[in-house]
Amino acid sequence: MNLKSNWWKLLGVILTIYVLIAGFKIPLQPGILELSQSNAVIGEEYSTEITTYNTFLKSAEDLNVWIWLPNDKLIKAYSTNVINETKVEANFKLPSDIKKQSKKALSAKILIDSKTEGHYFMRQAVFIKEGKSQSIPYKDYYEIDVIKTKTRLAFPFQHILYETNRNTFFHVAIWMSMFALLLVSCYYSLRYLINPLHDYDKRSSSLTTVAIVFGVAGLLTGSMWAKYTWGAFWTSDVKLNMTAISLLIYLGYWILRGSVSDIDSRARLSSVFNLFAFVCLMILVMVIPRLTDSLHPGNGGNPAFSTYDLDNTMRIVFYPAIIAYFLIGLWIAQLNYRYLKVKDYLDFEQ
Amino acid sequence: MLGRVFNIIKKEVSLELRERYTFFSSLLYLVAITFVVFKIFDKLEGPTKIALFWILLLFTAINMIGISFGYQTQKRKLTYYQMYDPQELMLAKMLFNYSKVFVAGLIMMLLMYIFSNEALKDPILFFKVYLLVVLGIVIVLSLISAISSYSQNQSTLVAVLSLPLLIPILLIGMRLSLVSERMFSDSGVSSYLLMLLGIDVLLLSLTFIFVPIVWKS
Repeated sequence: MNLKSNWWKLLGVILTIYVLIAGFKIPLQPGILELSQSNAVIGEEYSTEITTYNTFLKSAEDLNVWIWLPNDKLIKAYSTNVINETKVEANFKLPSDIKKQSKKALSAKILIDSKTEGHYFMRQAVFIKEGKSQSIPYKDYYEIDVIKTKTRLAFPFQHILYETNRNTFFHVAIWMSMFALLLVSCYYSLRYLINPLHDYDKRSSSLTTVAIVFGVAGLLTGSMWAKYTWGAFWTSDVKLNMTAISLLIYLGYWILRGSVSDIDSRARLSSVFNLFAFVCLMILVMVIPRLTDSLHPGNGGNPAFSTYDLDNTMRIVFYPAIIAYFLIGLWIAQLNYRYLKVKDYLDFEQ
Repeated sequence: MLGRVFNIIKKEVSLELRERYTFFSSLLYLVAITFVVFKIFDKLEGPTKIALFWILLLFTAINMIGISFGYQTQKRKLTYYQMYDPQELMLAKMLFNYSKVFVAGLIMMLLMYIFSNEALKDPILFFKVYLLVVLGIVIVLSLISAISSYSQNQSTLVAVLSLPLLIPILLIGMRLSLVSERMFSDSGVSSYLLMLLGIDVLLLSLTFIFVPIVWKS
């Protein structure tokens, strides 16, 4: 193999292996799954059993449980009792002057930190209501900078998603590399229209074929993800349906190629249709998300990938994943193109 | 150029008059299918009525426009090829198709008014949407018809190729016509109308770029 001209194939394979290993082997950050008691009353004691995920509480050093108030003040649990590796019981005394900060029932975060595992917290974990008793007097609040942090290589812990977060490297990356492949396919369609050589048409059609396969793969992985997070294989979610529409468009492209028998007009018409369809697909991508809410991140009040979904740890796997699938797709397309070329040659010989 | 375009349109009209049963058969199809739909649903209101209006209009348009390029015999095609500039022919066909679909849509609105006994709540907005959506449908279907005229099973191919491409136009049209029927309010009506206009202009320019390429054979 000539490494000078085929380096991108090697890069694609290495990156794919890297994505598979890193995507599955890097652990999730520790997180809090649930609380046994989430209602607290001001001026009274509050004790709860906290279930955590991916933690080793028994071996944790200097373990502390905190209530994180909206004004970034912390209340420390006066006693913590580790039950097993993923369960801890915490007891708080809620001071009676919490209410001064806000009128409504407060929703506070629960935060756990330790020297060995750093800190992790859960949003909207405790709801603090007004109480009658004034038994617990003023107590010192802690500032936010007492929390111990520990940086380590781990993917963010996200509610509902949990371990399926890793599907970002497959579902989203496949979907994006499909768009990249379609873009390259359009480039060759354009070149065919400028300079009608059948070579360009073969390249374009084999790239589109690979893109359709990628689209099906993206749909399948997305469907599995939807089953575990939204509860159904198929939802009325717009982006899911957009994928289906783009598949319909490109299946139409196949049918068009199949139903025109003349080689020249087939190449010309499918090039035109390919460009036209890509523009329509772009319109679709821009238009549809504006029309309805989506369950996907970045739409309808859901956090986007760029904010805290896709943190730096995920980026170091996510971006290589897009490049890896794109390169692998190009390779498959090249093989497909060579097959078409050989087939043409053999047909010509006969 | 405009004179030549009108000349083509005049020729198209005379051809259409010679074979006027095709236009009337699509109108009959429209009337029949509207009647069937109203009999099945018994009472039509709300989003269903609007959705059915657009779907039935879309299928009628596919019926009318889908064959507008392939209907010609090989001889007529050769004549056209020698006589006309492809872009002028496309423009003439589009204008003619637009008027046909426009008339069909008006008839359908009348039918819906008669059957459901409900007037349009915001006719001005609805007509703006109607003009733009029909324009989009006509542009896409005309180009797809020209593309698929080279294939044997043209009518199926037109439906298969054009339906997914028409989805964005239909979705915006659906939303805007729901706003015009006071189903819900939306502050971005004018921006949606502009978006629809932008899509139409984009598709129109693409069509004019591609038509000479499709035409040569």
